[in-house]
Amino acid sequence: MLSPAAEKIINDYFNLPLPGIANVRCPYFNNSRANQRGQLRALTGKGTPNEIIAEAKIISLQYKSGLFCKNGDCAEKNDHTGAPFTADEVVKFLVDHNLGIECSGFVSQVLRAHFQETKKIDFTKKMFIVPPSHLLRWLLAKLRPIENISVRVLADDANSNHVIGGAIGYNYENVLPGDVVIMLDTGPLGKRNHILLITAKTGAIINYVHARAWTSEGRYNHGVSRGTITIMNPLKTLLEQTWTEKELSGDKNETFIEAKQARILEIKRLKV
Amino acid sequence: MPSIFAVGLLHQSLFFLILSTVVTFLLAPLLTKILYKYKIVRRADFDYTLQGDRSEKAGTPIMGGLLVIVVVIGITMLFNWDRRYTYVPIGAMTIAAVLGAADDLLNVFGGKRRLRTVKNKFLLIKVHKKWYMKLWHAITVPWTALHEFTSMFGSKQGRGLQAHEKLLLQFAAGAVTAWWVYTRLGESWHSIWIPFDGSVYIGWLIIPIIIFFVMFTANAVNIADGLDGLAGGSLIVAFAGLMALSWVEGRTAFTPFNATVIGSLIAYTYFNVKPARFQMGDVGSLGLGTLLAINAIAINKILLLPLLAFIFYIEIFSVILQVLFRRLLGRRLFKMSPLHHHFELSGWNEEKIVMRFWIIQAFMVIVALWIALR
Repeated sequence: MLSPAAEKIINDYFNLPLPGIANVRCPYFNNSRANQRGQLRALTGKGTPNEIIAEAKIISLQYKSGLFCKNGDCAEKNDHTGAPFTADEVVKFLVDHNLGIECSGFVSQVLRAHFQETKKIDFTKKMFIVPPSHLLRWLLAKLRPIENISVRVLADDANSNHVIGGAIGYNYENVLPGDVVIMLDTGPLGKRNHILLITAKTGAIINYVHARAWTSEGRYNHGVSRGTITIMNPLKTLLEQTWTEKELSGDKNETFIEAKQARILEIKRLKV
Repeated sequence: MPSIFAVGLLHQSLFFLILSTVVTFLLAPLLTKILYKYKIVRRADFDYTLQGDRSEKAGTPIMGGLLVIVVVIGITMLFNWDRRYTYVPIGAMTIAAVLGAADDLLNVFGGKRRLRTVKNKFLLIKVHKKWYMKLWHAITVPWTALHEFTSMFGSKQGRGLQAHEKLLLQFAAGAVTAWWVYTRLGESWHSIWIPFDGSVYIGWLIIPIIIFFVMFTANAVNIADGLDGLAGGSLIVAFAGLMALSWVEGRTAFTPFNATVIGSLIAYTYFNVKPARFQMGDVGSLGLGTLLAINAIAINKILLLPLLAFIFYIEIFSVILQVLFRRLLGRRLFKMSPLHHHFELSGWNEEKIVMRFWIIQAFMVIVALWIALR
């Protein structure tokens, strides 16, 4: 199991700590389209649940969206209907204002909480991001590690070891909570990367969480999500196991499709 | 030794104060009418700050600071014109005010500016057919780079003067002041007064210091001019401090000069408190910010500026820190900058913020006086 602090932060992403409104799942947001440079963590898809909520409060107060009362403490009623704001309305607000989390940001934030509790270290400061020869990038990465940790950084052999895949082969007994499922060069064009975080392994079932946006979910229904990989064929590849998410398996499960499209699909463990 | 018995100078200065107050009061309705007639008002359609609670400010005339600038120039030129002392402060203030006026007018009437990035420039150098245009784009790359750098510290509205253009003109105002202080005011201004410790001779180094303080203070006042009455009231207190120091030191040109500014600001602030009849605009804030710095420099109290302009400096530092936190650490220090917006978002109403800032400003001016008179 992951540490209680990591579990808490995962739960906070699934149920953002908004006063007065429950079950607001953090939506997915990837900065590659908005391309905000040198921006706040929360506006680049790398923020903690609290940072995302703090930014939502400021935007709501600044533009008088009515989501929070004047001191920013509580959610108010909808001005038009008089009814309290629903979780869907809050999610719509977050998506419309580019607030959310992306896959590597989510995994980094959870693992940071996990390692801070279990090993008393901030793993983001131990990551190899860019070499010191690229002085400016190196300095920026030191100042803002979370923002500079991408899937490729986590997948780098300098930062993580193979557990499944690569030269190691397939021994699913080695998989532990805190390991990550890496998908490199995936998507229809092979230009995306994706990462899942393994939260538990019970017998033949691997539980994972990730931040993603399935195409079938439309503009507002995406966000952090849970799924399982059931090891049906212990000696075979990850693609030959059963991936289930939102009760969908096989090609209806877009996470599985993404895994199929990946040039590299492996499970790795961070060198911390 | 302070000439504390110069009652005549005080009496004369108070006359200037009363005169400028009355003149400003009389001219205020006329200016308001002109500003409304030519629709020199804040427009919500492209002023992104006029959201939510602030939307009521849309339609309020801007450039109200012109009133103070015109009255101060008029009274000083008519009754207190001194080639050695007052004409350069008036000149530098006018440069800054003209710059501010251009910005105000372009913000209201100007079209959207085409703002190129350095990347665009290099592309143009590469693809342009005409050699002289390639050369032009190559020469102007540093200017564009300066624009890109300065735009990181402010909003990107695409209208009015941009930060890098303002900085150039503010530099001109600072340079005029530095030239005047260095060449005209005499050897004693080549030394910088140090609180509690006499003075230190710094020679020509006074020039960049003066330019820096003039530019910094002008921008600080400009940034603080975000709530009704805030800049006006705080400036009254700051100039009152300068007037008191000038009077105590028996400066016959600067005591009535500062009194004139105070008088005009009293009338201006009367109309500017919430709900404002008009707002200062860049014409007033840049002009008066420049003048505040110059008048402190002119009485050789440059190091007291952080206290005399305390609220303004706090406001500008809040912006600088916010930008540094945002860019370097990816998080906010304040909910919003400048600082008065942080308190607004924290639930304080506008009047409470303005009055507390006035009180803090008054206290810090008293501290400045205590230090200066020690």
